[in-house]
Amino acid sequence: MIALIRLALFGFIGLSVIYFLVSVYSRSVRREKLERRWDEYPPEGQGNAERSAYIEAGMRDYEKGLRKKLIWLVYVIPMIVVAVTVYLVNYQ
Amino acid sequence: MSGWIYWGIVALVIVGVVVGINIWLPKGSKGRRRLKWSLWALAILIVGGFLHYTLPRHDIVRVVNTYQERQDLHDWTRIFWSSPDDQAGTLANRDVQFIQTVLANGDPMVYRNEDTGWSWPPYFKFDTANLQTEAEDLKSTAANPQWVAVTRYGWRIVYLSTFPNAVGIRPVAGPDATIIPWVNIVLLIAFVILVLLFRRMWLQFRERSIDPLLENVEEAWESVDERADLAAGRARGVWGRFTGWLRTWKGTPRK
Repeated sequence: MIALIRLALFGFIGLSVIYFLVSVYSRSVRREKLERRWDEYPPEGQGNAERSAYIEAGMRDYEKGLRKKLIWLVYVIPMIVVAVTVYLVNYQ
Repeated sequence: MSGWIYWGIVALVIVGVVVGINIWLPKGSKGRRRLKWSLWALAILIVGGFLHYTLPRHDIVRVVNTYQERQDLHDWTRIFWSSPDDQAGTLANRDVQFIQTVLANGDPMVYRNEDTGWSWPPYFKFDTANLQTEAEDLKSTAANPQWVAVTRYGWRIVYLSTFPNAVGIRPVAGPDATIIPWVNIVLLIAFVILVLLFRRMWLQFRERSIDPLLENVEEAWESVDERADLAAGRARGVWGRFTGWLRTWKGTPRK
């Protein structure tokens, strides 16, 4: 039982670190994409203020979007893998 | 006190090795390249060995017998035995179940049969007693062989008395039945994808966070340089010559 608690605790810590890193990475990639999109075809007569407003609006959309929610798979997939492994190893 | 001395010596050795490498094997030298490749080879060896030990492999064998034997668990070869959940950490010895088999080429092969529980490696095996029963049930003679595929991880090292841990057992048609290692295929692909993902993440972090920082530092340096040049232009005395001499110590700017 102790070992299960230990696995759950360290698994949670490890996956949380990965979740944090992946979400930082994903946000960074999205911001870069927004910057590129603006810089490729900058609308006429609009300056830095509009540019950062555009990027911030894009980032707000990202925070609400599906892509951010998909990062929860970092927790879900390992749990499914563990459950499937327990089943395959012990009940076949 | 002795702890400080110990760590002091360790720190001195590390500093010494780093300084030594930079003096005797300067950047771009042949020795430096060799050292780099040696370290890479060592890293690949360690990671490869780790995967080879941990990932499941299959043997096609004929089960001959099963037995149980008391094992001492107090020396460093402890790492080659499992630590089942219901075992006290201080336990010095305990009974281990074994499965004796013969490989298709006639060589003997002995497996241990132990729970891995929730610890490493993550096989989550709890059915040791069932597996022992199945193995017992699949026993056969050389005259009338029943071939079975044993899924296992670990190494049989005769000199250290280590045994691979059997994880699963199932009957197969004959001694040359083919088994596709699906688990290994999936796990190795996942491993490569993860390595590439982390590399990508690191590069993104460097591009977005570290490089701009370095550029700022570089700009600051350049403005310092300009001011120094202006000052040198004004003074041009002993001090100017001194700073000029100082600047000859600065190497080419590194990117």
